[in-house]
Amino acid sequence: MFFHIVLERNMQLHPRHFGRDLRDKLVAKLMKDVEGTCSGRHGFIVAITGIESVGKGLIRDGTGFVTFPVKYNCVVFRPFKGEILEAVVTMVNKMGFFAEAGPVQIFVSNHLIPDDMEFQSGDMPNYTTSDGSVKIQKDSEVRLKIIGTRVDATEIFCIGTIKDDFLGVISDPGATS
Amino acid sequence: MASIEPFNRLVKLAARAFYDDITTKGENQPKAGRSDNRGIAVVILDALTRRQWVREEDLAKDLKLHTKQLRRTLRFFEEEKLVTRDHRKETSKGAKIYNAAVAATVDGQKTGREGDEKQKMHTQSYCCLDYAQIYDVVRYRLHRMKKKLKDELESKNTVQEYICPNCNKRYTALDALRLISPNDEYFHCESCNGILVAESDKLAAQELGDGDDNASRRRHDKLKDMLTKMEEQLKPLMDQLARVKDLPVPEFGSLQAWELRANAAGRVGNGELNANDPSKSLHGLGFGGTPMPYVGETKVEVAFSGTDEKGDVKSVNTNTPMKVLPPWMIKEGMNLTKEQRGETKPEAKMGGSLTTSELSDDKKSANVQDEEKNIQV
Repeated sequence: MFFHIVLERNMQLHPRHFGRDLRDKLVAKLMKDVEGTCSGRHGFIVAITGIESVGKGLIRDGTGFVTFPVKYNCVVFRPFKGEILEAVVTMVNKMGFFAEAGPVQIFVSNHLIPDDMEFQSGDMPNYTTSDGSVKIQKDSEVRLKIIGTRVDATEIFCIGTIKDDFLGVISDPGATS
Repeated sequence: MASIEPFNRLVKLAARAFYDDITTKGENQPKAGRSDNRGIAVVILDALTRRQWVREEDLAKDLKLHTKQLRRTLRFFEEEKLVTRDHRKETSKGAKIYNAAVAATVDGQKTGREGDEKQKMHTQSYCCLDYAQIYDVVRYRLHRMKKKLKDELESKNTVQEYICPNCNKRYTALDALRLISPNDEYFHCESCNGILVAESDKLAAQELGDGDDNASRRRHDKLKDMLTKMEEQLKPLMDQLARVKDLPVPEFGSLQAWELRANAAGRVGNGELNANDPSKSLHGLGFGGTPMPYVGETKVEVAFSGTDEKGDVKSVNTNTPMKVLPPWMIKEGMNLTKEQRGETKPEAKMGGSLTTSELSDDKKSANVQDEEKNIQV
């Protein structure tokens, strides 16, 4: 789920940037550092929407670097257990398939794929129903439900299921019919 | 507290439902026959329903069990949160205080412990049923059983586990990222690179019978079967839980508190007949040396604050009334309760009291009457 929250970070700035554009340089550095990273507590930081405040800079002893505490608004994405997401399949395996929903990877094991779908290996391994009507292969879009998340310090990984009602393939990749 | 009876029934039902095959022998001693003591847990729990705080050695003696066996079972119960235990160092004097407390509550139990240890400090262990926790624990257990079956039935939201057959290392589906291999389509163990095997459903064993399409349906049916059988067999227990739900839970408090209460109540209840009663009482030692003659129960009239509970407990344990004194014994100025004067109807209600306690009571009441004679004279 997406959230819009205020986060704080201490940014270090080299003296060569001091001058008229100090604040802009600071913001640019912040964006470069933070956008696209993931923290276990807040989730993936998708985009910075604005700066709330920049505190007083503190000159570090020994070097000329200055540390500014910056408060900024940003959009974060954090998956939760029980959430329903759409994802794109990236890899199909005998043990299940991997899908991606934005920055987060989700694994659906074959135990949580409906029983009537069988694995078929080949150059394009896929899961398909007995009558061939529904097929899950690379680049298919599926709707899945998250049943567990594993949150490390800088990494989030999920497992999901498509065995419930209204879950499963949304659309096939354009190539195959 | 009349409400102890439904709770006792709950304990008995739960004991027979869940603990009737607990054995205290380790798994590596598969002795059957004479030394097979499965079911002893039920006996112990039943015995505890008839007592409050009890010393473990006394309980072992009453039940004719080895102390070690009893302790092991009680330790098991303590872990299951059914009983609370208290261990404290005591001299023989302290032990007698406890004995007096017990006698004041329970029907004529002649406990031993006649001061054989002089002034040594022994660690005595006491145990008591914890009714509030028992109620919660039983409900939680039932809830977990049902949840497990239901989850397997709908096979929803179970995190898949994987085992390496070579080194027996376990993984969950959450580790899947680390387990994929570039070569083939299986998961590989991190240490030995063996191919991992998915662990099947715990409850419904996978039968590799004919045709995989049957296996899942058979699993489903088996689980459903288990669920219905469980509901039906546990129905009495669940009914008892419902009945007990709104009742106040019997509370004995800590060992110290209970002892104080029991001794105080015992003393007050028998205050009227307090004379130099000889060793009819327990070992002659109580608080401050006050003798505690054991008389009949059911102090309905004594509204002594703080011992209401005490009085109720006593009434449940033995429903014997105070003996009615014949009119020729009653003199002016005697401090008797209404019961003893034979005036009120509670006596009639308790006319149908337990006869089992009457034997011991007769002896005691005879003593009481002797006492009366002494006083009068």
